[in-house]
Amino acid sequence: MAYLTRRSVLRGALALAATRPFVGPHIAKAAATTASAWFAQGFVQDEDVALRKAVAEYEKASGNKIELSIIPFAPHRQKLISAITSGVVPDVTQGNPNEILQLFAWQDRWVDVSDVVETQKAEFSETALQAAQAYNSVTKKRAVYGVPLRAAVVPCHVWRPLVEKAGLKIEDLPKTWDAYFDFFKKVQDNLRKQGERKVYGLGFQVTANGVDPANLFNAFLIAHGGQDIVTKDGKLHLDDPKVKQAAIKAAGYLGGAYRDGYVPPSAINWNDADDNNAFHAKLMVMDVDGTLSTEVAVKEKHPEWYQNDIVSQGIGYPNDNAGKPVPSIVGVTQGLIPKGAKNVTVAKEFLKYFIQPKVIGEFIELGLGRWLPVMPSLAKSAFWQNPKDPHLRGYVQQGLLGPTRPDYYVFNPAMAEVYSQHVWSLAMIDVAKDGVKPEAAIDKAFKRIEEIFAKYKMA
Amino acid sequence: MDSTSVVDVGRPAIRRTLSLSRSLRGGLKGGEYTWAVAFVVPYIAVFIAFVAYPVVYGLWMGSEARLYQELFADPIYQSTVVNTVLYLALGVNVKMFLALLLSGFFMRPGLWMKALLLIFVLPWAVPQISTFISIHWMLNGEWGFLNNVLYTLFHVEGASWLNDRWTALGAVIVSHIWKWTPFWTLILLAGRMAIPLEIRDSARVDGATGLRGFVHITFPLLANLYLICTLLSTIFLLGDFNAVTFVSGGGPANSTHVLATLGIRNAFEIAQPRLGVAAVMSALPLVIPLVIVLMRKLRTSEVQI
Repeated sequence: MAYLTRRSVLRGALALAATRPFVGPHIAKAAATTASAWFAQGFVQDEDVALRKAVAEYEKASGNKIELSIIPFAPHRQKLISAITSGVVPDVTQGNPNEILQLFAWQDRWVDVSDVVETQKAEFSETALQAAQAYNSVTKKRAVYGVPLRAAVVPCHVWRPLVEKAGLKIEDLPKTWDAYFDFFKKVQDNLRKQGERKVYGLGFQVTANGVDPANLFNAFLIAHGGQDIVTKDGKLHLDDPKVKQAAIKAAGYLGGAYRDGYVPPSAINWNDADDNNAFHAKLMVMDVDGTLSTEVAVKEKHPEWYQNDIVSQGIGYPNDNAGKPVPSIVGVTQGLIPKGAKNVTVAKEFLKYFIQPKVIGEFIELGLGRWLPVMPSLAKSAFWQNPKDPHLRGYVQQGLLGPTRPDYYVFNPAMAEVYSQHVWSLAMIDVAKDGVKPEAAIDKAFKRIEEIFAKYKMA
Repeated sequence: MDSTSVVDVGRPAIRRTLSLSRSLRGGLKGGEYTWAVAFVVPYIAVFIAFVAYPVVYGLWMGSEARLYQELFADPIYQSTVVNTVLYLALGVNVKMFLALLLSGFFMRPGLWMKALLLIFVLPWAVPQISTFISIHWMLNGEWGFLNNVLYTLFHVEGASWLNDRWTALGAVIVSHIWKWTPFWTLILLAGRMAIPLEIRDSARVDGATGLRGFVHITFPLLANLYLICTLLSTIFLLGDFNAVTFVSGGGPANSTHVLATLGIRNAFEIAQPRLGVAAVMSALPLVIPLVIVLMRKLRTSEVQI
C-alpha cells in the first residue's frame, strides 16, 4: 500500500490549487465599474419594477454595472445594521429606517455625498436638504451624508360611510385640532347608539412598537406648541414651559382617548401594519398613519374605497387650536454610501443619475404615490395634480408644498433613540392603561429623554 | 528485537524527542499520520469558522463594561429578566412534567393510541411561526376567535388578552408548552420503551403497580433522561425568539420581552448591535452552569436509561 507522505500531500495540494480556476465556481471579481446596491422591497411591485428600470437605464447610459439587491423591508434594515457593524458593506444603500443616517453619521460611518446633492441642490425642498445632513461626533461637524430620494408624511385617513352612518358629514369636520379629533368621538358615540359594538372613533397607535406612535405623538406635540423640543443646533429644550405643556397635552389627549374607550383596545399592542389592517376592517373611523399606503393598498381590489369611501384629500392636518397651520414632519429616505464601500465613484455616479428629476420622478410615480417626491417641481406633474384622483393632490400639498419640517433626529440623533426606545409610547400607555396623570407620565418620559441625550453630546 | 533500545543507548536525547513526537502523533507513523491530519483539518476548519469564531466574536462584541451599565439602566431590562426566569421556570417544568405524564399515557397498547399519538404530535410538526401568529390573532381582543366564541356562546365580552403583561406572558408560555410538549413526550416515550420488560414484570410481581411502579421503578430509571431533557430544554428556551415575537410581540409596552427578544430589539430596532449582544450575554451566568451540569450528566457511567 502506498503511504501518503508530507511531500505527496503537498504535491496534491498544489495540483488541486492549479486546477481550481477551471473546476471551481466562478466568482466575479468586482471590476472598477461595478457597484453593489441594497434597496428595500417596495410596497407594491411597481416600485421594484421602477427601481430595476432606473438601474438598467443607468447601466446602459454609463457602461457601469449595478449589482442590485432588493430585500424585504425588515431584513433590509437588519442586513444594513449588520453590514455596518461588521464592515462588509454595500457600495450604496437606501436608508432604513430614515434615522439610520443620523445614528451612524454620529459614528463616522458614511461617506460625504455633498458633491452628489450639489448636482440637484436647486431642485430639492429645503426640508429635504436639511434632512440630508447629520452630525459626525468624530469630526465634530455637520455634513451632507444623505442623498434625498423620496419622502413621506403622516396624513389622516377617514371612512366616509362610517361618518355618514353616524348621521354626520365629512364636510362637518371642524378645522381646529382638538375639535377635529373630538368629532370622531361623537361619530363613535352615535354609532354605538345604533348598536355598532366594535367600531371605534380614533385609530391612535398607543403602542410601543414600530415608528407610528412617535409620528403620532410628534403631530400632537407640534399642534400644541411643542415644536421647539429640539432646535436646529441639536439642543434639547425640556425646560421650555411651552414644550412641557404641549407634551402633557399630547400624552393626555392620546392616552385619554384610549382610556375613555375611543381607541381599539388592541391598539396598545399594534405593530406598524396593524392599524392599516384594523382600518381596512372598519374597526375605527379614522387613522393617523404615515404615507398613502392605506389608500394605495386597496386601490386595485376595492376601487370604490379608494375613489370614494376613504377620505384624505384636503384634510391634511387641521389647524392648531388657535387656528394656525400645523407643519407636517417629513421623513426623508436617503441614498447612502457606507464608509468601506469598494466603489464610491460608481456609487456616487449612480446616485447622481438617480436623483435627476425625470428619473426619480418616474420612480416615485410608479409606486402609485405612496411616497412623495422631494423636489417641489415634481409636484406639478399630471400624476400629482390629477383632478380625478381623490388623494394625491392633498398628499403632495401636505408633505411637499405646504408647511413642513424635518424630523427632530436630523438635529440630534438622540431623538432617534428616543423614538426607538418608545419613550413617547410609554408616556401615552401610562396615561391610557395605568391611569397615570399626564404630568407624571411626561415627567418620567423627560427624565428618560435627558438620559438618552446625555449620551449624544454635541460640540 | 526492540530497535529503540539501540537508539536509547547511543542517542538518548534524540530518543526522547522522537518519543515525544510519536506521542503527539498518537502513535501514528508517516503516511498514517498525514492521512489523519488530512481528515481532521476540514472538521477543525468548520469548527473554527462556525463555532469558535462566532462565539469569540460575540464575546468580543459584548465585552465592554459600559454596555452592561447601559443595559442595567434600561428600565425594560429588569422586567425582561423576570420574564425570562418565569418563562424558563414555568415553560420548561410544566412542559416536561406534562410530557412525563403523557409519555406514560401513550405507552398504552392499541391502534387507536397510535392514531391519537399522531394527532398529538401535530402542533410540533407544523411550522411554528404560522402557529404563533395564529395564536396572536386568536387572542385579539376585538376580532379574535376566542372572544368571538365567548360572546357567541355566553354573551361575555372577553378580555384583551394581549394588553396585559401577565396574560400576554401567560399566552406566550402556554403557546410554548403547547408547541413543544409533543416533542419531549416522544423523547420520554422512547425512554420508557427502553426500560426492559423484565424489570417491569418482576416489579409487578412484587406488587409495584400503578403509582408505586412509577415512583419506584419507572421514574428512577427515567430520572437521568428527564434531567438531561430538562437541561437541554432550558438551554433551547433561553435562545427562543419566536414565541414572544409572534404571540405577544414583546408588548404591551415592552413588558413581555425575554433576553433573546430584547437582544434583537437592541441590535436592530435601536440599531445598537453591541447592546443587543450584551443583553444575550447577560444570560451567560445561567447558561454556563447549565452546560457544565449537562456535560457531567452526559458523562455519567452509571447504568441508566
